[in-house]
Amino acid sequence: MNLRVVFANLYVKLLSVYREKTTMFFTLAFPIILILVFGTIFMSQDNMNFHLCVQDLDQSKSSKESVEALELNGKFKITRVDPAVDTAQYVRDTKVNLVLVIPKGLEKSLLRRKFFNDFTASATVTYVYDPSSSSVSTKMDILNGVLAGINQEMSRIPPFLKPVSKSILIRKYRFIEYFIPGIIAMSVMTLSLFGAVNMNTELRQKGIIRKLSTTPITRTEWILSDILYQFTIAVVSTTLMLLVSYAVFDVNLHINAWLPAFISLDVFAFVGIGMILTRFTKEAQSAAAAANAISFPMMFLSGSFFPIELMPGFLQKIAKTLPLYYVNEGLRAAMVFEDTMAALRAAAIIGAFAAVVFILGIIATKWEEGQ
Amino acid sequence: MNKATEYAIEVENLTKSYGDLLAVNDISFTVGKGEVFALLGPNGAGKTTTVEIIDTIRTPTSGKVTLLGMDVTKYKHDIVHRIGVLPQGFTSFDRITVRETLQYYSRLYHCRNTDIDGLIGLVNLTDKRDEQYKNLSGGLKQRLGIAISLVNDPEVVFLDEPTTGLDPRARHEVWQVLQGLKKAGKTVLLTTHYMEEAELLADMVAIISRGKIIAMGSPVELIHNNADTQILTLQSADEKVFEIVRRIGFEPVHTNHNNIRIRVEHTEDVQQILSAIKDAGSFYRGLDVRKPNLEEVFLKLTGEALRDGYVEGGEAE
Repeated sequence: MNLRVVFANLYVKLLSVYREKTTMFFTLAFPIILILVFGTIFMSQDNMNFHLCVQDLDQSKSSKESVEALELNGKFKITRVDPAVDTAQYVRDTKVNLVLVIPKGLEKSLLRRKFFNDFTASATVTYVYDPSSSSVSTKMDILNGVLAGINQEMSRIPPFLKPVSKSILIRKYRFIEYFIPGIIAMSVMTLSLFGAVNMNTELRQKGIIRKLSTTPITRTEWILSDILYQFTIAVVSTTLMLLVSYAVFDVNLHINAWLPAFISLDVFAFVGIGMILTRFTKEAQSAAAAANAISFPMMFLSGSFFPIELMPGFLQKIAKTLPLYYVNEGLRAAMVFEDTMAALRAAAIIGAFAAVVFILGIIATKWEEGQ
Repeated sequence: MNKATEYAIEVENLTKSYGDLLAVNDISFTVGKGEVFALLGPNGAGKTTTVEIIDTIRTPTSGKVTLLGMDVTKYKHDIVHRIGVLPQGFTSFDRITVRETLQYYSRLYHCRNTDIDGLIGLVNLTDKRDEQYKNLSGGLKQRLGIAISLVNDPEVVFLDEPTTGLDPRARHEVWQVLQGLKKAGKTVLLTTHYMEEAELLADMVAIISRGKIIAMGSPVELIHNNADTQILTLQSADEKVFEIVRRIGFEPVHTNHNNIRIRVEHTEDVQQILSAIKDAGSFYRGLDVRKPNLEEVFLKLTGEALRDGYVEGGEAE
């Protein structure tokens, strides 16, 4: 092993990518764009309020107070619908997904219950909704909660079970802070996988690998320089992602030794997979297609973008077999929860996986034309 | 391992097969130290496979190849430090300059004192030293490839089709560089399908066809032994000339631009043909009598042209 040879290779690779301005820009800009787009979406979700259309058929003092109470609740931005309007048609025409209809006689029933203790007196509010809308069920759940609260209060009996929230974290974290480690894991995966596949198939197709095989450089020196190159790019990319996250979203993440540790494990694992793919695909295009086939499901199933608990049970089981899941878990344990044991567990699993695929990658890498 | 030998390269009964395809079929030859040896043959003849086995890129199916006294299948690590290779279709890193590329390869050979500027001058790239590889023309790229193959001051240089795809001017510029190598006393194994290249540069030529060496010797020997005729070319001849020549017992061949090419054995044959044409009242615009070259030798030995597009009596390029 000659380190001068390793660094000569590393220098040429870095110089090539530095001079390939467009490629470098998109390589580094892609994860930042993801952070900016998803960060903006999640930031608005943290303060989300729904648009709610209300048709008040009663037009009484009590019904008006009820609508104002819904507005003051903070979860809804209310639009009042004229009592004369056909609500079903209104939903179709205006593309709103739900109209809450307050029935005529609400105040009358309320007074009967309040002053005459007539517990048979009730009012039926109607949800006129579009079931094809994905967010309508959430809106209905919140409304159900609000109505349950009103019923509870009117019963004048103190609740027996009282919920109290207690976070496992010392301070409250925002969703963006869970999201950033996932994006770092995903970006390092794609950089390493596509970097290894694209660079090696291109150099092989161009005949540069064949030329190199007539020089004293060994396969080990070449692979080591490749790893160092991918690691350098991953560190630059991660640094930029973190800088943007701090500057734009004012995130609060723990930066410690686990971060470079998980980045290097991520690099080893996916450069290893890249080397295996390069061995078994002849053309650069088919290698890139194979890399896509591996990275895309991993991106969406391993919890980089959203928690895997939102997925069906069998998909959660699949997620737990994916290497990226453990990089995500490990980085979140280290950067968000400060849970050293969880980070260690994740590092052990991804480390074992990286060792196996990297060794297989070394075996698979074909240096001489051979046979 | 490193036995003293007068030969830089010794190839004995070398065979290389890919499944049923026999790419190299039991060939043997030697290359003396300081000699320029050319493997001349058409595409697919087995030249590149042979060279790539000798320069350790490929492994042989059978046979023995010794380079600088070392078995190429056993001593790759030692051999690569002592050879320089310009592979067929050489390319390099697009965004790296001429100077940076040579520095890079010099480091791969663990060389600390390579005269990079001297090498750049040797291949006449001084003006382009800071140009990126992607901006170089085909000829300049090949000259850089030759310079790369010299960074470790190798004892044996392998040049696999160094001028293929270049225009005539660029080809001549590369030849000048290769003549410099010859003067410097380097052992060179060259593959080419340009007979002019082999004639100009090689001390020894092996003509290879379908994986077999079919003739070997110096260019002069090969021509003398295999082409004892002369070539008479009648330029812009009228339509009757072809028939007149055929009638008096020769085998004329139409070539490009209405030229007629006739293989003749004696000077008297030329006089007989010209007289017959004059007597018949036909005409031609000019004539040329010349000795045959390696192209004709190859044609005679194999019955096929060295290159696609080659026609007897001239090039169709």
